Amino acid sequence: MNTNLKISNVTKIYPGCVANDNVSLEFNSGKIYALLGENGAGKSTLVKILSGVIIPDEGKIYLNEINLKLNSPLDAKKNDIGMVFQHFNLFETLSVFENLIIDSDEQREVLREKIDSIMRKYNFSIDLDIPVLNLSAGQKQKVEIIRCLIRSPKVLIMDEPTSVLTEQETSELFLSLKKFSEEGILIIYITHKLKEVMELCDEVAVMRRGKLVSVSEIKNENIESLANKMVGQNLKTIKKKKEKNSSVKLINITNLNFISEDPFETNLSDINFSVNRGECLGIAGISGNGQSELFQVLSGEIISDKNSIEFNKNYIGDLNPQERREYLMAFSPEDRLEQAAIPQMAIYENVALNNYKSSNFFNNGLINENKIKEHSKKIISDFNVNTDNIELKSQFLSGGNLQKLIIGRELITSPDLLICFNPTWGLDVGAINYIHETLIKINEQNKSIILISTDTDELLKLSDKISVIHKGKLSKIMDADEVTSEKLGILMGGGN
Amino acid sequence: MIKIVKRDEPSRAIFFFTPVLAIFLTLVAGGLIFYILGFKPFEALKFFFIVPIADKYGFSELLLKATPLCLIAIGLSFCFKSNNWNIGAEGQLTFGAIVSGGVALLFYEQEGFYILPIVILAGAIGGMLYASIPAILKTYFNTNEILVSLMLVYVSKLILDYLVVGPWSNPEGFNFPETRQFSDSARLPLLFEGLRIHAGIFLALAAVVMSWFIFYKTYLGFQMKVSGFSLKTAKYAGYKGKKMIILVFLISGACAGLAGVGEITGPIGQLHREVSPDYGFTAIIVAFLGRLHPVGIIFASLVVAITYLGAETAQIFMQIPKYTGQVFQGMILFFLLASDYLLFFKFKFIGSNK
Repeated sequence: MNTNLKISNVTKIYPGCVANDNVSLEFNSGKIYALLGENGAGKSTLVKILSGVIIPDEGKIYLNEINLKLNSPLDAKKNDIGMVFQHFNLFETLSVFENLIIDSDEQREVLREKIDSIMRKYNFSIDLDIPVLNLSAGQKQKVEIIRCLIRSPKVLIMDEPTSVLTEQETSELFLSLKKFSEEGILIIYITHKLKEVMELCDEVAVMRRGKLVSVSEIKNENIESLANKMVGQNLKTIKKKKEKNSSVKLINITNLNFISEDPFETNLSDINFSVNRGECLGIAGISGNGQSELFQVLSGEIISDKNSIEFNKNYIGDLNPQERREYLMAFSPEDRLEQAAIPQMAIYENVALNNYKSSNFFNNGLINENKIKEHSKKIISDFNVNTDNIELKSQFLSGGNLQKLIIGRELITSPDLLICFNPTWGLDVGAINYIHETLIKINEQNKSIILISTDTDELLKLSDKISVIHKGKLSKIMDADEVTSEKLGILMGGGN
Repeated sequence: MIKIVKRDEPSRAIFFFTPVLAIFLTLVAGGLIFYILGFKPFEALKFFFIVPIADKYGFSELLLKATPLCLIAIGLSFCFKSNNWNIGAEGQLTFGAIVSGGVALLFYEQEGFYILPIVILAGAIGGMLYASIPAILKTYFNTNEILVSLMLVYVSKLILDYLVVGPWSNPEGFNFPETRQFSDSARLPLLFEGLRIHAGIFLALAAVVMSWFIFYKTYLGFQMKVSGFSLKTAKYAGYKGKKMIILVFLISGACAGLAGVGEITGPIGQLHREVSPDYGFTAIIVAFLGRLHPVGIIFASLVVAITYLGAETAQIFMQIPKYTGQVFQGMILFFLLASDYLLFFKFKFIGSNK
C-alpha cells in the first residue's frame, strides 16, 4: 500500500526566530527522503511537528489525504508515525523487553512473539532480557527502532541516527532502512552529514534558516552542491598541510590508570602515549568508551599519580586544572553549556573562568573587572564571536559563537598544548570550518593539540597521529596518513 | 485571545517588580480573608500594617524584629545563591544562642568590656559548628542538606529545652524553664532609653555590606557564584567546589548564630525555651523576597517584620489569633513564587485574526 505524507504550509515561530517558515513538502513511500540542514535550520522543529511533540502555529499535515491533528506524541503513534530521536528515550536499568512493551497494552506473550519475528526478519540480534545499560549505542538504537516497528508504522522518522554509531553500525543501519523502505515504510532521514545522504537517500530536501531551499533527486546532486545549498555560500575546503613535525616531546603519559567509583563511568587502563611539539594527536572512539574520563584526567579534573603525566619536563599528574594552566596547558571540554561555560553568566564572566596568574583578572582576591572586560573584547574580535556586547549572558550565543568564545578564552595564554573534546559537536558548517582553521593554525605555530573526537572525518582531517579508545584502552598510535575511516571503525568497535 | 509566551530573557524590571506585586497581592488576599472573617478589610489591614509602626516604640520594635531576619537572610543568600539549600537556620540560630548563652552564663555577675565580644563570637562559632554538620555530610557523604539541616532544627530545640529545664536552669527560678539573667556586660547595649532596639542592628548592617562586597567584588564571591551554577564548571576552572560548599554553610551558620546572640543578649537577656519565633524559617521568605540581593533583603526583612508586629496588634485589638502573621508570611512566599512565572513568561494579547 502506498503512503503519502504531505506537509502543507507549516509555520512555527519562536520568540526571535522563525523555526519553520511556510514549509510545504510531499513524501511518498518506496523512497528514502533526506531532510538536510545545518543545526538550527529548522529540520528538528519540522520532525517534532510530525511526531506531535510541537504544535505548529499554522499549516496542516496530511497522511493519505487525511488531515492529521497531532497534539501529542501519542497522536503521532496512533496515526502510524514512528520516530527515533537522536537521544535515546530508554530506561537504562530496565530490560530491553520491558523497554519495548512499556507503552503498549497488548499482552506480553503476543508482544514477545511479535518482537521475535521482527528481530528474525531484520536480522537483529539483541538479548531481550538484559538491562539496556549493557547495550552499545547501536543496539540501543535498534531497540528504539523495534519499538517503532511493533506498531507497524507507515512513516519512520530518524533524527540524526548515526551520530553515536561506528562505521559498521552505520552501514548495518542503512541496510535495515533500505529494507524497511522496500517494504513500504516511508523513511524520513534527518541529518547534516552529506556523505550519508548521498549513500542512502533517493530524494533530498534542504532547509536553511527555517525555509525549505530545495527538493531534488540525489542523482542530480553531489556533496559540493548539497553543501553549498545547505550553507548558502561557496565553501572553501580546508586541508591541513602535512609538515615534518619536530620530534621534541611535549607531553608524555606513562602507565596512567583511573578506576572510577561510579558504575556509569569507564575505567582507564594503562594509558601510554606522547605528543610532540606542533603535532595533533587525534583520539577516536564511540562516545562512552572513556573519552570523558581521559579528558578529565588530562585536564586535572581527575587527579592522578604525579609521575604519570610529564609535561614540558615537569611532572604534573597531581595538579588541578588551574595549576596545569600555569604550565601552559589549555582545555576545551565537550559540554559547552554545562561545563566549559556558564550560560547564566555574562560573556566577560565566562572569560574569567580561565584564571591564569599573569592574567591579573583577580588581584589580591578582588575582581579586576576592567582587565577581564578588556580581554573579553579582544577575544570577541580576534575569534569572530558574533556580538559586541560582552555583558550579554552567554546563553544567548549560538553554539558556534560560544565555542569560539571558549576556544578563544583557552588560547589567550598562548598555550603549548590544547586539549579539546568534540570541539565541533553540534555546530554548523561555518563554525566547524572556523574551529578547524583555528586548530590548524595552532599546529602551524608549533603548538600541540590532543583532539578527542567522535567525528572520524574531523580526526582524519586534523590529526597527524591517531589512536582509538575502546573500553578505556588506547589502541596503538598510528600515522594519520595510513589510517582509513574503515580501519578506525573496526578499532572503534573493538576489533583488531 | 490571550496567549502566554516564553520571554527571550528574564526581564530585569520584572525581577524587582514581582516582590512588590507579591506584597500587593498578599494585601488583597489578606483583606479578603479579613472580610470573610467578618472584619472590615481596610480597618483590619490598618491594624495589621500601619498601627503597629505608627509610633516611636512601634518603629523600634519593627527594627528589632527585622534585625535577626535580615541577618539570617543575608547568611542564607550565600547558601541559596550557590544552590545549597540550607533551611536549618532556625537550628543554627538556636545552637548559636545555646553556645553564646552558655558563655554568657560563665561570666555570671562579672563585669568587663571583653565579655560581650566573647559572647558574640561564641554565638557565631556555635552557628558555624551547627551548620558544618549538613555541609560536611553533604560534601563527603552525599546526604541531602535539606533534610539534614531541617531535622537538626528540632535537635537543637530539644537540646535547648533540656538545658533550660535541667542543668542550666536558674537555681532561684522556681523551676521555670529559663536560665539566670546574663550580666550587663554580656548584653548588647540598647540604642535608646525606653526602646528595645539594640546594637545588634549594626551586626546586621555590617553583614549586609560584607555580603555585597564579597559577592560582587571578590574572587571568593566569583568562585561561589560559579560553584553554585555548576560544580562541573568549578572543577574545570580549578576551584575547590567542596570547600566552597562548606564555606557558604559556615557563613550562613555564623549569621544565624549571630541572630541568636542578638535575641538572647538583646531583648531577652537569658536563655529560655522560645529564643526565636521561627526567625530562621521566616528568613527563608525574606531571602527570596529580597531576591537574594543585600539591599533587597533589607527591605524584605522590614516588610516581613511587620507581619510579626501586625499579628500581635491584631490579636490584641481584634481578637484575631496571632498566627495570622504566619498566614501572611505564607501568602507572601506563595504570591512571590507565583509571580515569578512572569519572569520567564509574558502575556500576549492577540486579536482574533484567524
